[in-house]
Amino acid sequence: MDQMVEIVDVSKSFDKVRAVKSANLSLQRGDFLTIVGPSGCGKTTLLRMIAGFDAPDTGKIRINGREVENTPAHKRSIGMVFQKLALFPHMSAAENIAYPLKMRRFQFDTIPDLVEKYLHLVKLDGLGKRYPHELSGGQQQRVAIARALSFSPDLLLLDEPLSALDRKLRNEMQLEFRRIQQELGVTTINVTHDQREALIMSDQIVVMNEGIIQQAGTPVDMYRNPENMFVANFIGVTSMLKGVVCGSGKNSVSVKIGDATVTARANGEEIAIDAAVDCAIRAEQIRIMDIDSNVGDDFDNAVDGIIKQRIFEGDRVLYAVQADELGGAMLHLFDHDPNSHNEYPINQRVKLGWNSRDLFAFPAETVK
Amino acid sequence: MRGPVSKKLILWSLVWFSIITMSLPTIIIIGASFTSGEMIQFPPEGFSLRWYQRLWQLDDFQQALLRTFYVSVICTIIAIPVGTLAAIATVRYRMRFQKTIQVYLLLPFTVPLVVSGISMMLFFGEIRILGQLWPVGVALCIINIPFMIWSVSASVNSLDPELENAAYNCGAPPVQAFLTVTLPAVMPGVITGSLLMFILAFNEFLVSLFLTDSRTVTLPVQIYNSVRSVITPDLAAVSVLYIVFALLAIWLLDRLVGLEIFLRSK
Repeated sequence: MDQMVEIVDVSKSFDKVRAVKSANLSLQRGDFLTIVGPSGCGKTTLLRMIAGFDAPDTGKIRINGREVENTPAHKRSIGMVFQKLALFPHMSAAENIAYPLKMRRFQFDTIPDLVEKYLHLVKLDGLGKRYPHELSGGQQQRVAIARALSFSPDLLLLDEPLSALDRKLRNEMQLEFRRIQQELGVTTINVTHDQREALIMSDQIVVMNEGIIQQAGTPVDMYRNPENMFVANFIGVTSMLKGVVCGSGKNSVSVKIGDATVTARANGEEIAIDAAVDCAIRAEQIRIMDIDSNVGDDFDNAVDGIIKQRIFEGDRVLYAVQADELGGAMLHLFDHDPNSHNEYPINQRVKLGWNSRDLFAFPAETVK
Repeated sequence: MRGPVSKKLILWSLVWFSIITMSLPTIIIIGASFTSGEMIQFPPEGFSLRWYQRLWQLDDFQQALLRTFYVSVICTIIAIPVGTLAAIATVRYRMRFQKTIQVYLLLPFTVPLVVSGISMMLFFGEIRILGQLWPVGVALCIINIPFMIWSVSASVNSLDPELENAAYNCGAPPVQAFLTVTLPAVMPGVITGSLLMFILAFNEFLVSLFLTDSRTVTLPVQIYNSVRSVITPDLAAVSVLYIVFALLAIWLLDRLVGLEIFLRSK
């Protein structure tokens, strides 16, 4: 086991508000971990404790095998890209990148070569003399990441540095961060509220809400096997249906939703009969069809509904359909091939089909 | 079309009225200083530099000018570290009695200059430094320090609070981080404040009046003394000297802070 970061039972409060509640997580050397959650969920607090800007109230933080609670920030081998970048405005790009090398007493004659190397890595060759305000947003990002990496830190921290960029540049920089991280093999912890970014960039994802880690796992695992309603809802576009259990098992349950009884997946824990459950299904797992279509063998569940909303998103159409059979619940779904399918108008009656393995059932109030 | 035209007319009239009323005294004094007559008058009688020449030859004025420089330099040299550190500390760091300290540091503003002057005269007399020149610089620094603190505070307020964290993260110990990152980033405020302190000390009259005697008299007090006896055009020449000096300071400010202007951009 080659753990680069280990966080054991870490808690932190600010003025009686508990920002992080007994967080545990560990990260292998070379992995890219993203902590994702809505704003105020404690993800940034956790990151700042790792960086050494805040001290945990209780618990242990180990980086590269050493406990760091008593190590001040400037003695930790951690590079960080800040949310607003925090480039030194009175230093050129090259001086910014050289700053950690000077402060960490690298041999003086090796510094210019290292600066050149990292300028090249972030594709800023020849722009070293520019000052931060003379660079574009994307170029400033690149300087910030070069500054965080030039001294070969044990750990790289990213504090939502991409949140201020426009969407196109953000997508470009996400791939760029991932490329650089893989090229150097540096262990990285990224913090974001953007679930898409978490899925794209990471080896591991941690979902946080209200100071508590909800689930940790790989992006695929997180997407396919959410452990509670919060995770199911946060990652992807998800419809929520409230129901009552009428037939129970370890891996599947029968749930009465409105007038209909449907089969849903349970996540291993047996749920008692008559217990309230929240069911979740992802928008891309529901197929929209003409009202008189034959569902056939493709889907084992089908309901009728009325289209209440249609949003054209270019590469897909998002429909909101009200299903009377399910007690008037609203189902959200995508049509990924709107060019060759029928486009259904609002108030049209349609048939919806899905498979019971894609419908998750969670005991109500499982959000930790 | 009448609306915009009359609006323009009113606005421009106001602008020109303001410009003229504000600059008229300056123009008159400049004009008067070049007179070749014996009296301050406008328009001047002929053109000559004789009053400037006389000013230069006057031993009193030269001495007073030098003393004023000396006092202003002392005032500025003390104000730079005191004002800068006070501003950074009260704006940036959380500490006990923060508000109280902020108010305390701005107190010199609320005390009438006459009161400051008399109390400092008594105090300096008590500790037996009255009659020397350097305490005048210290006194001017004390009464004007709020300007320095305000000027630096403005810079500290626009400073990204994460900059220091970024420096720690780069491996800089706290003192290094302060010297290499925080201080350069608030430099525009320090420069503005220092020039302001210098000019204010250079012009200060009331407190200097209490603290100086015939051996340590500074230029503004000297002018006052001359006016009381007889008004001659060499006073106009001194005033022009002051105006030139103020313009010089503004030019210097523009050059220095202009060069540093990028510090304010992200």
